[in-house]
Amino acid sequence: MPSKYEVCFADEIPAGGRRIVDAAGRSIGVFNIDNRFYAVRNSCPHKGAPLCLGVVEGYVTGERPGEFTFEREGEILRCPWHGWEFDLKTGESVFNPHKVWVRSYQVSVETEARVLATAEAEAADPGIETYAVSVETVEGRERPVLYVHV
Amino acid sequence: MNTVASMKPRKFPIIDTDVHHYNARKSDLFPYMTRFNAERFADYGYGVQNSFAFNGGSRGRRVDVVDEKNPAPDSVGAAAYDVEDTRRRLLDGNSIDLAILTGGPGQICSTMMDLDYASAICRAFNDYSLEHWVAKDARFRYALHINSSDPAGAAAEIDRLGGHPAVCAAMLGCGAQRPFGHRFYHPIYEACVRNGLAVAMHFGAEGAGTNPPPSAAGYPSYYIENRQLRPSFYAVHVVSFVFEGVFDKFPTLKLGMLEGGFAWLAPLMWKMDLDWKGLRRQTPWVKNLPSETVKSHIRFATQPMEEPDDPNALKHIIDWIDGRRTLMFSTDYPHWDWDDPAMTLAGYPEDLRRRVFCENAIETFGLTLPSMSQAA
Repeated sequence: MPSKYEVCFADEIPAGGRRIVDAAGRSIGVFNIDNRFYAVRNSCPHKGAPLCLGVVEGYVTGERPGEFTFEREGEILRCPWHGWEFDLKTGESVFNPHKVWVRSYQVSVETEARVLATAEAEAADPGIETYAVSVETVEGRERPVLYVHV
Repeated sequence: MNTVASMKPRKFPIIDTDVHHYNARKSDLFPYMTRFNAERFADYGYGVQNSFAFNGGSRGRRVDVVDEKNPAPDSVGAAAYDVEDTRRRLLDGNSIDLAILTGGPGQICSTMMDLDYASAICRAFNDYSLEHWVAKDARFRYALHINSSDPAGAAAEIDRLGGHPAVCAAMLGCGAQRPFGHRFYHPIYEACVRNGLAVAMHFGAEGAGTNPPPSAAGYPSYYIENRQLRPSFYAVHVVSFVFEGVFDKFPTLKLGMLEGGFAWLAPLMWKMDLDWKGLRRQTPWVKNLPSETVKSHIRFATQPMEEPDDPNALKHIIDWIDGRRTLMFSTDYPHWDWDDPAMTLAGYPEDLRRRVFCENAIETFGLTLPSMSQAA
């Protein structure tokens, strides 16, 4: 059973933003992609780099030399050291999704003790836990707080 | 005794043989230049376009090291080369006992048409480095920047600063107008021997300026292709040093090859040895088996270390090249493809690790550890 750790007020991480927190003795990066939150461990499975300090960009594809297309803007985290790419929504690496991945964590947005939005699973691979909640579903006057479940 | 042991978790010091430093601003070099050269440098910089403007990470550096939000106003393209940051993050953060600063613009200067301007930049960079980096921390050592296209001028610079206690080598690139074993360059090695310095070689500027293209088939399109060519950059010089008889002429000379990896070396040594057996009479001044000459005189920095799927493959390669003698650890900090000392050769025997992390570099570059004198 994972424990819940407070990250910050949800509105403190704007869309495209991130915050790195310590929870349960590990460093975790929480990212806002289009007002949905995702959390992954701040440690690259390759060499232990502080992964969440990397660049967040799109998934670059190209069908023939000289062609570059950006897809899924803002969803790919590139390690600050050796450049390995990870899908922030699943934790899976781009080059070998099923063998190389970074641990991802459930995130929830809540006001006081009342859970207004429950986690929703998005991962295609059931072996990898990924959850996302929308901040827009939060009602009430209380300022919503972001939690990561570790 | 127990207290000291518990304070020192490692059984040997770490020597990092390839750490890049730079001037953050062009103006950092002005005080060490004549007025005319300072004006030229301000207006035109190096005046040579590196053949590889592209790189990895953030403009070649680790993204977590580069502060893109605060680039120096007249930055030469290196926003985060900062001596305090390097001391804290690299030396303190990784418990590195000695780091050889390798810069640097020496390779690109060696491809300039104006030899005097090129040598002036090297001199300025050397003076700047000694004053603003080496003098700031007893753990820094320095590889002197020289204009290798002007061997007499390079020798003069080696004589000017080779006696500085932190200077441990003179630097060559891999791009050159001739393979570096050629007698054209011997005044450089003579000066190194005279001053008790090693030669360090670090790729850079292949295909730039006056240098020939970076491959026998011209210019590749992509940065990732250029990286795959690196073993060929180094191989041509290994072969040249061996068969031009450089080490027979300068028996105390040591050559450290930095950032070329080492996985390519074994087949080259096998081929040289086999060919030498049949062709020895064409280069009779080469007295020893080429692989023996390599193992006696040339050392290879570990980064960027190959990562074969089967980790045992790496063990074989290290055995084949007698890595216990020939390898030296390096990080290549602050570049994006750096190797973390904590992750390098972890699990290898202590004896090998001690040679690679410490003793081989001490022997190659004639280093003295600051901790050695303090420990007493």
